[in-house]
Amino acid sequence: MADQANFEKDAIQYAPQLYSAALRMTRNPADAEDVVQETYLKAYRAYDSFQEGTNLKAWLYRILTNTFINRYRKQQRRPSEVELGELQDLYLFRRLGEESGATRSAEEDVLEHFVDEDVKAAMESLPEHFLLPVYYADVEGFSYKEIAEVMDIPIGTVMSRLHRGRKALQQKLWKLAEERGLTGPHA
Amino acid sequence: MSRACNHAVAYVYQYIDEEMTWSRRLRIRWHLNRCGGCADAFTFEQRVKRMIKDRCQDDPPEELFDRLRTLIREEAAGDPGAP
Repeated sequence: MADQANFEKDAIQYAPQLYSAALRMTRNPADAEDVVQETYLKAYRAYDSFQEGTNLKAWLYRILTNTFINRYRKQQRRPSEVELGELQDLYLFRRLGEESGATRSAEEDVLEHFVDEDVKAAMESLPEHFLLPVYYADVEGFSYKEIAEVMDIPIGTVMSRLHRGRKALQQKLWKLAEERGLTGPHA
Repeated sequence: MSRACNHAVAYVYQYIDEEMTWSRRLRIRWHLNRCGGCADAFTFEQRVKRMIKDRCQDDPPEELFDRLRTLIREEAAGDPGAP
């Protein structure tokens, strides 16, 4: 059992990370801050039920995830899974190879051209059940087991959503690259 | 694409996320050492993962820490169970 008096000292260090995650989820700084504040309030109130020595970061992310889902999910307009369809494996790698007959270095050059805004926009376009596992794995570096705990879903579901979510993200990046003229033999 | 390539590609994310048994990892590495196409694809996926992390960082508003501290202290003060 954790002592509420230590909450601020223990938990406040995670605020910047939680804020970044909330910003991807809500796509809006004011809402992101609301979600983070509500998360800290709930976490403070529940802190005596937190098992000391276990994974505090994952515990906070679990509260953040629930807070976001309860408050914002209904307002969000994101494409459904069906709209995204089934995508080929190694989506971006294959598309870049097909378009340009690219060499390995040409494929990697395309990655250099993406700026923060591109990647953030691509992330934010994902349905939340793809966004969350991809964000947690790629940006937070959570293990599959931690993601399963944070999202309260089985590990097998984490793996399949991660697989499909990453391909969907790469499709979005591919479209951005196309719009910007980064693909093709003369790119 | 051989059967070995299909097998390797099916595990690409578990490989780059380091979420597989060492014996399977060894088998895939064995294939990557022999197949330039798959080795390039795996390297590319690894670079995409790193790029996503690098390009998804945000600085929180400076006042965020202060607001959270105030929130927690007000909650603590208002809680009749608190000392």
